[in-house]
Formats: sequence, structure tokens, C-alpha cells
Amino acid sequence: MIDNFKYLFKEGVRNIWSNRTMSLASVGVLVSCLFLTGAAVLFSMNINAAMKTVEGTNSVKVYMDEGLPVLSAVKAGEEIKKLDNIADCKFIPKDEAIEKVMGMLGEKDATILTGMTGKENPLPDAYQVSFKDLSKYKDTVSKIRKISGVESINDYSDIAAKLTKLDRMVTTGGFWIILILSLVSLFIISNTIRVTMFSRRLEINIMKSVGATNWFVRVPFIVEGVVIGLISGAVASGILYLVYGKLTSMLTSITLFQTVSINSLSASLTGIFLLAGCFFGALGGLISIGRYLKKEGGDVVDW
Amino acid sequence: MIEFQNVSKVYSNGTQALKNVSLHVDTGEFVFIVGQSGAGKSTFLKLITCEERPTAGEIVVGEQKLTQLKRSEIPYLRRMMGMVFQDFRLISKMTVYDNIAFAMHVVGASSREVRKRVPYILSLVDLQDKAQCHPRELSGGEQQRVGLARALVNNPRLLIADEPTGNVDPTLSFEIVDLLNQINKRGTTVLMVTHQHSLVKHFQRRVVEIKNGSIVADSCNWEARHD
Repeated sequence: MIDNFKYLFKEGVRNIWSNRTMSLASVGVLVSCLFLTGAAVLFSMNINAAMKTVEGTNSVKVYMDEGLPVLSAVKAGEEIKKLDNIADCKFIPKDEAIEKVMGMLGEKDATILTGMTGKENPLPDAYQVSFKDLSKYKDTVSKIRKISGVESINDYSDIAAKLTKLDRMVTTGGFWIILILSLVSLFIISNTIRVTMFSRRLEINIMKSVGATNWFVRVPFIVEGVVIGLISGAVASGILYLVYGKLTSMLTSITLFQTVSINSLSASLTGIFLLAGCFFGALGGLISIGRYLKKEGGDVVDW
Repeated sequence: MIEFQNVSKVYSNGTQALKNVSLHVDTGEFVFIVGQSGAGKSTFLKLITCEERPTAGEIVVGEQKLTQLKRSEIPYLRRMMGMVFQDFRLISKMTVYDNIAFAMHVVGASSREVRKRVPYILSLVDLQDKAQCHPRELSGGEQQRVGLARALVNNPRLLIADEPTGNVDPTLSFEIVDLLNQINKRGTTVLMVTHQHSLVKHFQRRVVEIKNGSIVADSCNWEARHD
């Protein structure tokens, strides 16, 4: 039994090596498919994390008109505090706001904003307003908008709606792209294995003549597909890990939200990729050998 | 060993390949199958190996009724047969040893069994010195002996040889049939399809002649009648 398995496994690996160009093409397409799937999933996870941050904030930023005297700004603040649904209303002077932005950019990148402090500061004064009751969110926001001196409100409900829309778009678009790529992967893998099969038809023919079962004929080709799938899964998870790591380290300094860390996901991500690779590979192998055994290689002893 | 009872075979395109054929081959017999191209010899062999099913009649090989045989049971039927082909069908990238070992691996033999059995079979066909050669390094006669060794390695009860001397030098043809004769003497039933009358004459065995899908002669003194 072990002898048999060793023999069949060796045959499967030999198939890959003797047909390496097509095998490489299969690995390439499957890596693309898995990488895009992983990227779409990570994107969706980040959107969800961002939405939770937004929802958890329970507050809005109210920006004052540019050049509004401090006294008028304070007066507007008092009017905001007088509204029913206000839990807290904190004044954020524009100098404090620019310092916060500079802090987010880090020491090196903040130097580009050094000329924008004091009178040159382009940011307006603002209030950080939090609400008592979120169900009255829209009503309260529209009341704040009417107060004189209020230029705009950073309304997170809009952001949440936009993020949901973006997430839906990425999920739908991702679904179709992944579906198409999955079919392409299956097509290429099954054709790669089909090429191996045709190059080994004499061996299959002899196998059938000496009494090999269909499963014995199938196994090396399934092994071939599984090994292609495993290699693709490992390569795709490695690439995704590196690309995502680089991208998040670049984005953390300029986004308001904390990105999802890939380190905590890497083990399950690699596992899922390897399983998906195995599944696609085995399925590709089964499809092609199944078709071959049904048609050309059915019971051919070929006298 | 082989029993054909009123067997007919009509292909889906309407060609009648065999007509009401009845034949009995005993265990341990050596039978030459002769006939012109298109006479029905290939269909006869295909029916024995279960590559084709009869349209009518009953076929028994060993103790197996082939009409009742399931598709999944065909490989096990073939394990009691050895097949030798006119074009040798050796795998060119494998050595002589591996070509023979391959047939053992296919039926699930262990590496130990393979290591023990292959040299013995190679010595039977007198090719023990060529074990590590590739088929292209061998003569036609030697290649056919490798084919024969591969057919014998799983110890078949029935050996089917389809024109095994067709691609071999006439003088070596006698050597090949002589080997088949020796194998037959050890108890293996041999069915050999051939076009070479000289061989049939020389070896004086049972001859079955097929013509237009029917058995037209079945005798031990076929050559006398034919002359």
C-alpha cells in the first residue's frame, strides 16, 4: 500500500517536471486567482473594520466658516450645546488640528506642512460633537447645519454609506473576477494534465492492458493537480503576505483607520490557500482524466 | 479456458465483425488464429479482453462469464491475461527493467516482489544482461522478448499475442514462437494471431482460421488442408 502510494506520488511529480512549461502556466494562473481572492477578502475585512470604527465614534466634526472670528465660533458652539441631543461639544482650534495632522504624518513627512502654521494654516476651527441618542442623528445634524457660522459637517453616516457601497462593489466585482479566474484556472490545469496524459497515452494503454483499475490510472494525474495547487497556494499566500504588509505599512500613516493585521491571519490564510489550491488541482486532474478515460482511453487495449 | 457460444458482434456502424462463432480452447492449449485483414481476428481478441461486448452469444474466460462482467471488474479479468503486441509497445524512456517492473507496479506489487520477480523473468527470455538498456538499444527480436517478459511478469493464465513476429526478422520469428512454446509447456494457454504460414506449418499446433467473421477451419492439420 505504502509502496503503491510512493510509486503513484513519484509518477505525479514526474508528470509535472516532464511537462514543466504548462505546469508553470497553471501555477501562474492559479496564483493570480488565489491572490485576487485573498486581496478581495482582505479589502472587505478592512472596510468592515473601518465601518466599525466610524460607527463606534458616535460623533461628528463641525467645521466653522474660514476666517470666522473666535468670538463668533464660540457663540456657534454655545448654540450647538443648547440643542437637545448633544452629549458633548469640544472646541478644536485650527492650530491644534494642524498639529494633529503633522503628528499623524510623522516627523519626516510633517516638514511639508511647516509653512502652514499660524496665519497660513488652511484648516478651519472646528467642534467635535457627540450625541446622546443615535436615532436622532440625522435630525440633530440638520439642526447644526442651520447654525450661523457652520461651514460643513463631517458626517460619518455618509462615509459609512460610501464604505458599504464600496464594499458591495468590491464583493460583487471580486466575485465575478474570481469566478472567471477559477474557471480559467480549472481549464488550464485540466489542459496541462491532459497534455501529460496524451504524452503518456502509451503508458496508460499498457496499464489498461495489464489490468490497472481506473483509479490507479487517475491517481498520478490527481497528484499532479494537487502538487500544482499546493505550490500555487504557497506562492499566492507568500505574495499576498508581502504585498499586504508593504501596503499597510504605507497606509497606516495616512489613514484614519487601523488596518487589519495580516500576521494574525497568516496561518489560516496559508491553510485556506493550500486547501483551495489542492481542491482546484485535484478537480482539474479529475476532470481531465475522467474525460480521457471516458473517450480516448476508456478500455483501449487497441489491437 | 475460453468458450465462445454462438457469439456475434455487430458494431454501431452496422459492420458485422463476427457471425455466430462458437469455439472452445482448453487450459494449456496453444492456438494459432489466422485470417486475412478485416476477417474478424481483432474483434475476437477484443471480445476476450472485454474491450468490446458481444451483440449476441456467451463468452466465458477462465470461470468468468464476460456478458455478466461489470465494467469495474474488467481490470481484474485482464490480470489473468498477458498481452504481446506487434509493435512491442515498450516505453522508450524506461529501461528494460523498468518496462517490466512497471507492469508489476500497476497491479499493486511491492518493491520487494518487483526486485525478486523481474530478474527471474528477464532470465527466462535471456535478457538478463540488457536490464539497464533502453528499448532503442535493442534489436526488434530483443524488444519483442521484453514485451513477452512484460506479459509474463504477472504470471498470467492466458497469453494473447497479436502478430508478435510481425515486426521481427523472419529468422528471429521462430525464436519468439519457440519462447511462446516453452511458456505454453509451463501451463500457460497461448493464443497467437499470425499471418506467417511458415510458423504455423513449423510448430504444428491447433489452428483456427477466421474468414468474414466466421470460423472456417479449426484443426491440427490445417497446413496440410491449406496446402
